Amino acid sequence: MEVGRLPISATQKGKLISAGYTSLSSLSSLSPSLLSRDLSITETEALVIIKHASRGGSPSRSPAINGAQTAWEMLHEEELFTRITTSSADLDNILGGGISCKEVTEIGGIPGIGKTQIGIQLAVNVQIPVDCRGLGGKAIYIDTEGSFMVERVLQIAKACAEEMSANYDFSRNGLPSGQVLMQPQDFLENIICYRVCSYTEQIALVNSLDKIICAHREVKIVIIDSITFHFRQDFDDMALRTRLLSGMALKLMKLAKKFSLAVVLLNQAANKYTEGSLQLSLALGDSWSHACTNRIILYWNGNERYAYIDKSPSLRSRSAPYAVTSSGIRNLVSDSKRMKMM
Amino acid sequence: MRHETLLVRPRLTPKLTTGCPVLDGHLGGGLPCGLITEITAESGSGKTQLCLQLVLSAQLPSSLGGLSAASLFLHSEFPFPSRRLSQLAQALLSTHRSLFTPPYDPLDYIFVHPLHTADHLLDEMQKIESFLENSRTRLPVKLIIIDSIAALFRSEFDNTPLDLKRRSSMFFKISGRLKSIAKKFDLAVVITNQVVDLVGPSEGANGLRVGNLRSLYTSGRQVCAALGLAWANCVNSRIFLSRDEEFITEANESVHGSDESSIHRMRTRRRLHIVFAPHLPYSSCEFVIVREGIRGIER
Repeated sequence: MEVGRLPISATQKGKLISAGYTSLSSLSSLSPSLLSRDLSITETEALVIIKHASRGGSPSRSPAINGAQTAWEMLHEEELFTRITTSSADLDNILGGGISCKEVTEIGGIPGIGKTQIGIQLAVNVQIPVDCRGLGGKAIYIDTEGSFMVERVLQIAKACAEEMSANYDFSRNGLPSGQVLMQPQDFLENIICYRVCSYTEQIALVNSLDKIICAHREVKIVIIDSITFHFRQDFDDMALRTRLLSGMALKLMKLAKKFSLAVVLLNQAANKYTEGSLQLSLALGDSWSHACTNRIILYWNGNERYAYIDKSPSLRSRSAPYAVTSSGIRNLVSDSKRMKMM
Repeated sequence: MRHETLLVRPRLTPKLTTGCPVLDGHLGGGLPCGLITEITAESGSGKTQLCLQLVLSAQLPSSLGGLSAASLFLHSEFPFPSRRLSQLAQALLSTHRSLFTPPYDPLDYIFVHPLHTADHLLDEMQKIESFLENSRTRLPVKLIIIDSIAALFRSEFDNTPLDLKRRSSMFFKISGRLKSIAKKFDLAVVITNQVVDLVGPSEGANGLRVGNLRSLYTSGRQVCAALGLAWANCVNSRIFLSRDEEFITEANESVHGSDESSIHRMRTRRRLHIVFAPHLPYSSCEFVIVREGIRGIER
């Protein structure tokens, strides 16, 4: 008898059983006042019983109950589900499984390194259904540079849909094999796109993101491509620029926490003057580099593209190669063995 | 805020044909509307030729890959090659006789305007926008060409940190305006750029690899696009035209004498490379410049 397992006194157990409450589910929808009347006990006592019953009803209490999980399993699952894969195993590996939800991640690099490609890939990958170890979410893509092209999204979405169907265990879920799980058009439908033409528009949009996401709770990633473009023109007052940028970063961080979604900011690279010499770094200056939780720098190493974790509270600084292919971001396949960096 | 799912957008960004199917094949159909495409090359590589060809093919109907549109040609390199343009216009008229009946003159739909300085360009931008809004021409303007951006910047700015900063802020301002015009009127923007030689070790600011090619070579020299990294961030895609002189020795068959006579000829081999583009992988294609314009060579 289930009520027998509840940590309550024997008299109470007896009262419960004699009143006909034998299973935990029979207690679950009960109000304390009703229970106190039925068992002729005080309402506080009834409340305690209901509390215990509801806690005992959750399967995690004891791994002996069928379908239960241990905390270890849950942790493991959490690690799987709160990250968005980049479609490159090497890249995912250094990122601890992918782009982290609840955090703001900045990805920067020189033109042509593949920032926009990673952005598009993430907007597609966030939609991978839960069945396929994805998030089954939607994406918001804020395009400030005009480089977001639907034909490229479609190309990447097609490749993603094909791979999903190829790797999906159809028999396990009782679906006819070879069935298409998601059409490429479905991917397009789940990407909400904004084209932003000035920094005022950009700030206004970031301010209203909260409201937008409230209406679209499925949104699991916000990508801004790029955060930089409109902030590199016409700012004579650099202090103002810094204030605006950090205000925006704070809002985005809050958003990431509140809705447990990933925020990905793409940044450009710029030459920085230090002590008379030019150095390559990400744009927007030193104060901005504190604004994001994670910072990933993309660079060329010979003929290969590499990503380097420049800053992260939980990840080691490591680098990994990746490739931009017609199907999107993938592992680098090369004859020469991967160079062990760092 | 304009909230849009991608379903309402056209699947394929409208493209402007280059007027040559081979080149179009490498460019995914042509040059995209709504974006800035940069064409980088040393002088004499065919930048201006390609631009002239674009202003003409823009007038073709969409069934032929054009935009049925007029275009705006802003030039900072003097003089404007009007003779070559009318030659190309004649070639266009003769190939599409049925489309363009006699009173139609392609030159009527090309608006040419000189540019002198970068500030001048910014001043003109206001006028361009109101011109586009109130345009009463028979064909809408769907193509803006700036030939070249580098000429506007090369004289005016020093190589000091302050001037470089002022210069890059100017780049972003110009690019921001152009992109918002491109978006608003759904037009293609094509900007040509010059190259600078790389001297010494290919490290430092200019030796930085940008895009698909490890380094750009033209006429046997290693070069990079002018105006630096800041400008590279301002364009959506970059195309590089290279040229190389090549000696070819041909046996002269018309002479049947005892002495082996041969002709040494110089030939220019030109290639088009995609340095970076959001929608295209790397590819390159050889092309020639003939009387009718630029033509790609299928391999």
